[in-house]
Amino acid sequence: MGRVRRSMTVLSVSALALFGIAVGSLNGVAGAAGSTPGVTSTQITIGASVPLSGIAASYAPVSAAANAVFKWVNTHGKVNGRTIKYVRLDDCYDLASYGLGCTAGASVTTLSQNQVLVAQDHVFATVGSLGTAAEESVVSYLKQNGVPQLFVNSGSKAWDNPSQDPDLFGYQTSYNAEGKIFAHFIKTHYAGDTVGFIGQNDDFGANGLLGLQDGGISIATSNSLTYNAADAITGSTSDIQADVATLAQDKCQVVVLDSVPGFTTGILEVAHALGYSPTWIISNVGADPTSVNYVGEAGAYTLDYFPAVTDTGDPWIPWIRKVLLADKADFPTFTQNSILTGNELYGAGFAVAFVEALKAEGRNVTRAGFIKAMLSTKFADPAITPLKFSGSNHQGLQGGVIAKIAANGSKAPVVGIPVNGTVYFTGNSKASPLNSTKTLTISPIPAWLKG
Amino acid sequence: MSAFLTSTFMHNVFGGLAQGVVYALVALSLVIIWQSTHILNFAQGAMAMFATYVGMTEIEHGLGYWWCVIISVAVGMCLGGVTERVLIRPLYGKPEINPIVVMVGFLGVIEALAAAIWTSTTRNIPEPFSQIFYHANGNLVYLSPFIVFQIILALGIMLGVAALFRFTRLGLQLRASAMAPEVSRLLGIRVSRMLTFGWILSAGVGCVAGVIQASGSFGLFPTNMDGIFVAGFIAAAVGGLESPIGAVAGGLLIGLAEQFILSYWSPNVAPLGGIIILVVALMIRPQGLFTRAAGRRV
Amino acid sequence: MQKLRTFLAQESTRTRLLAVALLTLLTLVVTIVLPPVANSDLAGGAAIAIVILGLSWLIGWSGQISLGNSGFMAVGAYAAGVWAHHHATTPLVFTLLLATVVGAISGLIIAVPSTRLRGPYLAGLTLAFAAAVTPIAQNFTSITGGEGGLFMNSLATPGWFGRLFHGANAAINANAQWTADLAVVVAGVAFFFMSNLFHSRTGRAMRLVRDNDVAAELMGVNLSRARSSAFMIAAAYAGLGGALYSLLEASVRPETFPLTLSITLLTLMVLGGIGTLSGAVIGGIIYSFSPDLVSWVNSLTGVNPTSNLGANMQGIIFGLLLIVTMLFVPRGLVSITVPLRKLARQRKRRPPAVEAASL
Repeated sequence: MGRVRRSMTVLSVSALALFGIAVGSLNGVAGAAGSTPGVTSTQITIGASVPLSGIAASYAPVSAAANAVFKWVNTHGKVNGRTIKYVRLDDCYDLASYGLGCTAGASVTTLSQNQVLVAQDHVFATVGSLGTAAEESVVSYLKQNGVPQLFVNSGSKAWDNPSQDPDLFGYQTSYNAEGKIFAHFIKTHYAGDTVGFIGQNDDFGANGLLGLQDGGISIATSNSLTYNAADAITGSTSDIQADVATLAQDKCQVVVLDSVPGFTTGILEVAHALGYSPTWIISNVGADPTSVNYVGEAGAYTLDYFPAVTDTGDPWIPWIRKVLLADKADFPTFTQNSILTGNELYGAGFAVAFVEALKAEGRNVTRAGFIKAMLSTKFADPAITPLKFSGSNHQGLQGGVIAKIAANGSKAPVVGIPVNGTVYFTGNSKASPLNSTKTLTISPIPAWLKG
Repeated sequence: MSAFLTSTFMHNVFGGLAQGVVYALVALSLVIIWQSTHILNFAQGAMAMFATYVGMTEIEHGLGYWWCVIISVAVGMCLGGVTERVLIRPLYGKPEINPIVVMVGFLGVIEALAAAIWTSTTRNIPEPFSQIFYHANGNLVYLSPFIVFQIILALGIMLGVAALFRFTRLGLQLRASAMAPEVSRLLGIRVSRMLTFGWILSAGVGCVAGVIQASGSFGLFPTNMDGIFVAGFIAAAVGGLESPIGAVAGGLLIGLAEQFILSYWSPNVAPLGGIIILVVALMIRPQGLFTRAAGRRV
Repeated sequence: MQKLRTFLAQESTRTRLLAVALLTLLTLVVTIVLPPVANSDLAGGAAIAIVILGLSWLIGWSGQISLGNSGFMAVGAYAAGVWAHHHATTPLVFTLLLATVVGAISGLIIAVPSTRLRGPYLAGLTLAFAAAVTPIAQNFTSITGGEGGLFMNSLATPGWFGRLFHGANAAINANAQWTADLAVVVAGVAFFFMSNLFHSRTGRAMRLVRDNDVAAELMGVNLSRARSSAFMIAAAYAGLGGALYSLLEASVRPETFPLTLSITLLTLMVLGGIGTLSGAVIGGIIYSFSPDLVSWVNSLTGVNPTSNLGANMQGIIFGLLLIVTMLFVPRGLVSITVPLRKLARQRKRRPPAVEAASL
């Protein structure tokens, strides 16, 4: 017995010693202390975890368009002498464990990809990472490591929490604000109609529904139904059929959809099969023109915060076309005749905003300095509503214009509303008022970006 | 009468039956294999999905719907036969975990291959009959021409299988080789061929379920049979795995249970229907509701 | 040296403790040299290895099949998640123990109606359970956070550990290594208990239940109690692994635990080797580095990883591996070393020891 104990002690002690030595040896390996991670004199490295494969792969052009803007900036004068390196890692919408169609590997999660960005690529910040639940899962990790999380691609109001998360910023109009604007639209044009709702069973659907209710729309409980993002993978889509059948049975004349593109398609198809065609009002997130089919006679509407892709009068549309054409690696099949998509406008939009804030910060780049620049920069960007951040508002865009989705799939301004559209603004809370203006915010392209 | 037809209750009955017959077909196909080879085919749904893809994508090349169905079922049957010969044959007499694991692996390969060949985006198969629901006095009846077709086709297949087993020489040989392989061999039945035939028949039945499922409003995608397989499997277990009638009854029961839970509770908990029925059924009779009491196989 | 060999040949709790402790320590030393990202991968692999070990025990030792271990993982993950979400300051050990106990209880609930079931019926019931867990989690939003799930604070590095690191990325490196070390220690404890279980009376009785239940009954083993307890232990391990996994992820969501995860677990367990400790270790390692495995195969075959085929390479590789392993090496990768070890033993002309328990 004594021998056992002794040999154990010896072994443990020697192993511990080895452990200590190794820790000690690591201490010598160190970078330039005090410098800002990801920033050298000639380059700044930023990253994003985005779905490039798997269920939400249709969003891949968003970050590709952002990358095209960064490449454009790199070849047209740089930002304060630095090029931008944009590391995009595929997180399969944090659903990689489903395996199917996901190139990233079963053990990949949004957190694991952010660990790669932070610990291996030493990014300055994440810029334009995508997904409500996916990005919420890394807020704590990024905060703990001091990494700013910028322009999160999601309309959740979770990004607008400056007192708790000062380095966290959203980009798009919140689902709450969107819901309130939809409510105003319904009350103006479809007063007295029965309104139904189908929404994703998370912040997206919940906040969208809350916005509608805050805006004064009453929705019968039986019609506020839910579906789950993973249903598309497991094949349990029976909920959708039941949901739509219930809406049809309750004779809803207006139906609001807070769904991702794959589900918008599914819902519209089921409705078509049932011979049911209400007026559809579809969240910007799910109103990708390619996913809106079978809109029926009553048509479909959405909220848009970018100029129409066909609007040649807007300076940004031709500029973004030029930028994408120049990036053969990300857009190999994009030609003079290709139509821009909402995803590409969105990606270009936050990328422009990022480089403007970076330019405003000046040559000496620190994380704290950048956050200050985010709050004070007056952005000149593609969005048609002002992009503003402040000490009390990290949401980003605050409104948009109602756009009609034509039967052929391309979005065009709604008939019956002034051609230039009315832009509606509102905050996230019930109390914040709904304002409107008849003029779009069309920012001129800054000279240094024009190229 | 029309008020009754459009009531929520009948809405659920029709919806439950429509889904239930698909479960029942899958359950039936599992029972056929189980009876002959005592193997549970975890890749049954995926094999049907794959065969459906092979046949149904021919629609895009201008082939008519019914020809595509025939191709699908033929491909499915070939796949069943080849699977038995190549993958299953080496596993007879091995511990029961072995074939389960192999078929789970096969399931993974088939689904990934299907996604690699045809992508994982949903394809819509133009259905042969309208999916627009009937109306009675301006109210919806949860029945469309397609659902009627789906129920009739499934019932037809079930009756056909029953007739095959009851009234044909082939059916007799199949049953004999399943029940007493040694005696059958002595009587000159080619048992090995019968085992393969059991797999072919089963894959064909499963494939009809796959075609119906893909033609419906859910469309065709590589995992579209996963949920159907789980429900079909539970149905077969409720019925006792040995009994074709039990499988069909189990399928209909689970289809109805899911539909009623979905309607009266929440769509999210519908999958609970299957597990509740299974637990209750197994508590009452661990060998399934429709199996004759027999000595347990150890 | 000879003395040490004889000493190690006498399997006892102490030697097993020593062996597991040494391996754990060795792994801890390895985490020092690993880059931070590999450490994070290792942590996830350790959590999964715990789940695989439970499954390995259930299938390899008690002969019961479960396709529901993703469900038990989810139960443990939610137990830990709900607790940690509301009680952020609870010591980790308590949260993990809580999850283990809740996992065990869920296993018992499933086991009670299952003990009379064999093979396919059992597989069916557990499959149905795993399929039902996700919808349940999605439905009871007030407790589980619904589809969006619950978020916890990510595991923080203690001050003394952080102070061992210097340089620009000290905090990041320290955190990655700390979480890896934590996971490895938890896995070490779990493996120690399992190695004892393998060698206990219960373990031997379980083998008898698996191989010849009539004989076991004659020898006074209560079959249904033995089977339920095997289930309970497997579920406890799944619960612990799931909890550790969710704490490492700092979140718990219904979609993290799909049915396919059960299949992945089964695959990893079979690949490593059914019923062995080292098989579970191998399974965990394969899981950790599966993305590298996939990209390696893609580069080897010249398949474009963003093509359709490349995107589904993982499913194809794992499926084929599972089939090939079961047909040709049914005892898993771990058995590849068995002939070598047998050869070594024969030279020394010693009777072979219990193989399955080799570490």
